[in-house]
Amino acid sequence: MRVDIRLAATDGWVDTPDGRSHYIFGFVNITGVPENEIFNYRGKAELMAPPLVLQVGDEVYLTLTNVGTPTRPDLDDPHTIHYHGFPNQMAIYDGVPEASVAVPVGRDFVFHYKPLDPGTYMYHCHHEPVEHIQMGMVGPLVVRPRDYDPADPDYKTAYGYGTGTEYDREYFIFLHELDCTIHNLVATVQEPDWTNYKPTYWFINGRSYPDTIASTSACRLRQQPWPALIKAHAGEKVLLRFVNLGFQQHAIELLGAVMKVVGLDAMRPAGLYGEDLFYNKNIIYIAPGQSTDAIFTAPEAEDTYPLTLPLYNRNLIKNTLAGMGPGGMITEVQIFEPGTLPPQTEPNQS
Amino acid sequence: MPTVNLWATDGYISTPDGKSIYIWGFTDQEGGSARLPGPTIIVKQEAPITETVVTVNLTNNLKEPVSLLFPGQENVKANGQPVQPQYENDILVSLTNHALPGETITYTFTAASPGTFLYESGTNPFKQLQMGLYGAIIVRPCDYTPHDSQYKTAYGAGTDTEFNREYLLITGEIDPDFHQAVEYGQPYEAYKPRYWTINGRCAGDTMLPDNVPHLPNQPCSSMIMMEPGEKVLIRYAGAGVENHPLHPHGNHTRLVGLDGRLLRNQNGGGTTDLSYKRFTVLTGAGQTYDQIYTWTGLGYNPVTNPIPTTLPNLRNMAIGHLGWTMWSGSPYLGQKGELPPDVVSYNQAGEYHLMLHSHAEPEITNWGAFPGGMMTMIAVYPSGTLAPHQGMLPTEAY
Ligand SMILES: [Cu+2]
Ligand SMILES: [Cu+2]
Repeated sequence: MRVDIRLAATDGWVDTPDGRSHYIFGFVNITGVPENEIFNYRGKAELMAPPLVLQVGDEVYLTLTNVGTPTRPDLDDPHTIHYHGFPNQMAIYDGVPEASVAVPVGRDFVFHYKPLDPGTYMYHCHHEPVEHIQMGMVGPLVVRPRDYDPADPDYKTAYGYGTGTEYDREYFIFLHELDCTIHNLVATVQEPDWTNYKPTYWFINGRSYPDTIASTSACRLRQQPWPALIKAHAGEKVLLRFVNLGFQQHAIELLGAVMKVVGLDAMRPAGLYGEDLFYNKNIIYIAPGQSTDAIFTAPEAEDTYPLTLPLYNRNLIKNTLAGMGPGGMITEVQIFEPGTLPPQTEPNQS
Repeated sequence: MPTVNLWATDGYISTPDGKSIYIWGFTDQEGGSARLPGPTIIVKQEAPITETVVTVNLTNNLKEPVSLLFPGQENVKANGQPVQPQYENDILVSLTNHALPGETITYTFTAASPGTFLYESGTNPFKQLQMGLYGAIIVRPCDYTPHDSQYKTAYGAGTDTEFNREYLLITGEIDPDFHQAVEYGQPYEAYKPRYWTINGRCAGDTMLPDNVPHLPNQPCSSMIMMEPGEKVLIRYAGAGVENHPLHPHGNHTRLVGLDGRLLRNQNGGGTTDLSYKRFTVLTGAGQTYDQIYTWTGLGYNPVTNPIPTTLPNLRNMAIGHLGWTMWSGSPYLGQKGELPPDVVSYNQAGEYHLMLHSHAEPEITNWGAFPGGMMTMIAVYPSGTLAPHQGMLPTEAY
């Protein structure tokens, strides 16, 4: 299927629950927006960047439009899209400015992808990547298997029929950190020393706890539209798509249910001859630039619903907000009585 | 039996931002300068029933005791006796037997498994390893035959580890203040790397060829060069004290060996393959990763299968914002196109450059300035255009 997506690259501001706001660069979805209204999206970057949900065999035309950074009009930085993990990529669509082209302010470029391997990937800007990744030009990218059919439980899978990756609901656990000193320096036209990188905020899906469990529509989180609250019926299989686009390793623990690791870097753990190398974990240890797919079965509650399972970073220092707890990479899995939740029609819906 | 002579000594390396940094390191030349990393020792195993005993004579030209650890090797001895940690007044002073200043110590070990290994100082290692006292060992299987594709393998015929070209990438970190304190005999406390190295160099030097004259003590390139469809054996060795998530663009790698051990269930007769693919490998301190990388491309060519988008006028794009580009000016492999006249192109044959770098991105800077650090390129040359000697390490070297 032909898929047309258009993203604008721009800047913006995000909030943390301690009342502070932070300058970011990022992407915002402008697919279908009339040409004369695109200007309205300047300064409206979102954290995390819009999830891209594709399918094996799609012909994807992703237009990147650089609309500039109104808070830093002096900046004039070009941007790119790097589809991280795309197999057999050629230089022109790889988004590395040193090895092909980048998109200057006021210009467009069309990246083309025909994904052939399902799994959880990520995308980010690759212009001065240390700055543009940290500033927030990061998002998840999912490729569904060719035979994906959400109406048929045998075909609602992460990696295809018969791969043992069936699930009922799916959620992103998109990990990213923020060093507020560096973001302030960038906002005030100063050069940070990246070797002093020392994050003070830790995000899941662009939010710090308790914003992770706040509703989608909270007004002060307009540019952080992705909650990380995970809801499921008892007995359902829940697919967690972990992506790390921070600069630190993270150890995400789920209390109360065991996760079966069914994907690493968009590959089923399988030997050369298809040997089944699945394994079970309580903690997903994940490095920058890695992804992990893990499925758990929502346990039954003995007495009352909802049942809450905490999901948090076992590097406990990352469950803080500028040094104060609790905050950061914490969210909740809430388990409900079967038949009480609407079915999920897109990832992360809760 | 292979015999290697190493000297532990000092020297200087340089960084692309113009710094000269004092190091300690190994050389295989008597009276030579320390080099980073130490010389790569490559040995081929003897026929299966014979033990492959490697001898390393270490002469210490530094002013404090130095030693060598051989992690992953068997039957390690120093001057004929099994190696032992060294204590003075019940305090650990070395993880193994050491050579005092001016002394020579003879180590032997059995190279029991093919694969990639490290050798490194075990004396005051927090200081000595950071100063540069490390290097790599490649052990080849006994049936290794470079001109026979079935026997040109990392772990032996029948182990699914055949390769066409091979590259060794040794990672490290440098705290220049720490090095300066050692140079002037001053105390040091904090450890804060500002440079991240592959094969002792920071980007863009990583992409220069071997043995460039202005880097006499950093002779090893990290540029990976290949042709489409080739199997490239990439050996990561984490020589530093930190972990680095290394990510190659263009494809996953298949991990076939960890710490010099084939990923195969040996107890089950070697029948279960435990290799796996990743697009980012967390290269851990002291650990090695043998991987096979291939890239076949997407089959586009300008005549019969043009790319599905129309490129904008390149005058309207940002190209070579640093003053240079690795790009050819054309989207097609093997083709060249027009580039802005003020941009220097390092492209040779219309090859693609796919970046390989640490995804802990502060590590791809030189003291905070991008580009730099732990970054190199995988250059995919059009079929038939890459010199056959690229990516050919010798069968044995010592
Ligand atoms: Cu990436
Ligand atoms: Cu990259």
